[in-house]
Amino acid sequence: MQPQKTEQFTVPIGPQHPALKEPSSFLISVDGEVVTNAIVRLGYAHRGIEKATESRTYVQNLYLLERICGICSHIHGTAFAMGVERLAGVEVPPRAQAIRLIIAELERIHSHMLWLGVGAHQGGFDALFMFSWRDRETVMDLLESISGNRVNYSANVLGGVKFDLTAAHIGDILKALDYLEERTHHYLKVVTTDASFLQRTRGIGTMTRHQAEVLGAIGPTARASGVLRDVRIEAPYGAYVDHPVTTITDDRGDLEARFAVRIKELFESYRLIREVLDDLPPGDIKTRVKRKIPEGEAAFRVEAPRGELFYFIKSDGTDIPSRVKVRTPTICNMTSVVKLAVGHQLADVPMILAGIDPCFSCNDRMVRVNRNNGSDGWTWEQLRQHGIEYYKQRSQDYDPLVVG
Amino acid sequence: MIKEAFGKGVAILEGLGTVFKHVFEKPVTVQFPEEFKPFAERFKGRHELKRYENGLEKCIGCALCAAACPADAIWVEAEENTDEERYSPGERYAKTYEINMLRCIFCGYCEDACPTEAIVLEKHYELSFTDRRDAIYTKEMLLVPPPEGQEDTPRKVEPGSFDRSIPVMEDPK
Ligand code: SF4
Ligand code: SF4
Repeated sequence: MQPQKTEQFTVPIGPQHPALKEPSSFLISVDGEVVTNAIVRLGYAHRGIEKATESRTYVQNLYLLERICGICSHIHGTAFAMGVERLAGVEVPPRAQAIRLIIAELERIHSHMLWLGVGAHQGGFDALFMFSWRDRETVMDLLESISGNRVNYSANVLGGVKFDLTAAHIGDILKALDYLEERTHHYLKVVTTDASFLQRTRGIGTMTRHQAEVLGAIGPTARASGVLRDVRIEAPYGAYVDHPVTTITDDRGDLEARFAVRIKELFESYRLIREVLDDLPPGDIKTRVKRKIPEGEAAFRVEAPRGELFYFIKSDGTDIPSRVKVRTPTICNMTSVVKLAVGHQLADVPMILAGIDPCFSCNDRMVRVNRNNGSDGWTWEQLRQHGIEYYKQRSQDYDPLVVG
Repeated sequence: MIKEAFGKGVAILEGLGTVFKHVFEKPVTVQFPEEFKPFAERFKGRHELKRYENGLEKCIGCALCAAACPADAIWVEAEENTDEERYSPGERYAKTYEINMLRCIFCGYCEDACPTEAIVLEKHYELSFTDRRDAIYTKEMLLVPPPEGQEDTPRKVEPGSFDRSIPVMEDPK
């Protein structure tokens, strides 16, 4: 038998559940077991939210935008509310700012713990996955007692927050933080010393500092490569002005560093929440914002658990925004996955993908370029039609064996 | 080499030790259909339309809840009360009151908007339907039964006895 020529083979991963339970498609070319090229195809969960904001009032949009992401929902609401407040020129009471910060940090805790579980699960370490999700319940219960909801807490209203923290809540939070802190020490020990887990993380998916800068990585993914990128420090907003954050960075840039950075950020969140609870400013929790927002444009950046989240809001003086643009963190980090997977084993790809803490439904965008033909964008109905046809066509085009 | 293998063996035993330790802990899982987790005080579940102690409906059909609802989930149609057929104090009552539970996002804005505290988000959360139409909760489904010993609405009352639609209430804290 003739020895076979080395041949490229393309393995389609996805579009159903490539790593997490969300749709996205990766076409991975392999030579044997080694990845030689990776192509990402996004767009399976495009929901037209940006377009939908243009036909809803600011209050309705607050709820709609919060549903962009089920995990970091509060931060979306915060970014939008703060942007609108800037446009309206209202000053949010300090107590409301503090409560926003506390809920944002609680959200970061539960998001990072969720990610720790997902990451461990991808590495085949299901015991860690179960334990970290069990402990995440502590935070979820706290959020439920504060807001009434486990996800999509709707804590923000334009001009403040909806709920106050009672003494009982503060007691519960402090108690839960003590428990979580103890558990987090344990997790940090596990992910940095467990020999079999380190084989899946140490030296895998290494992104150098230069690469992180060039690829525009953000959030914990960039910080694990030694790039200090954190909106809470670069451009503090709300209560972060008075309560500065110390950033955690790591120079190694591999998966182990990403685990370490995220877990160490948990300690920082615990510290911050305690600090803010210590001198929670008294007073009102909301101010009135008029229905109609003055004409103008505002851009607002916040630090979501996954990295920088950017909002652009344009108002034309009515109670409906004329444009809302959202840039979520995952889309910035997605390029790094494609780059980093090359040269690794195929089996490492899900780990590398999970390493950026992706959120696919936050991710999907549609861009339409108007070429000076006098058209002034699409109506909601046209967008819908386009979507239906696009996916019809796409399912016919999609034949992974031909690609690559 | 041997040392490395030994190290790995120890690591595995250590890991198993952690797992073994948890065997003796109380499980954190809740056996759901048989057991329930206690509700948080602020939990927002399915709505209920409340009544006064005398059995009259609190809802006066003002549709402020429908105006406040960010998801457009509420549909209210009001009708005039008469002393022959009185549903609620004051001039009007809700003839139709529907909430589409598929649209509702359980934000509680309706509760905040209501001037008479008629609509309240209660603790029921087991909402599942086999048909979209079933998800629309009508007034009959939302309205709580009248308190013990009070007759149902509509009822015949003395003229002029219920002319105030919004009761005297404390300011919300
Ligand atoms: S809870 Fe919110 S979404 Fe549901 S009916 Fe009330 S206002 Fe509408
Ligand atoms: S529930 Fe309250 S707000 Fe809604 S129509 Fe009835 S009285 Fe008005």
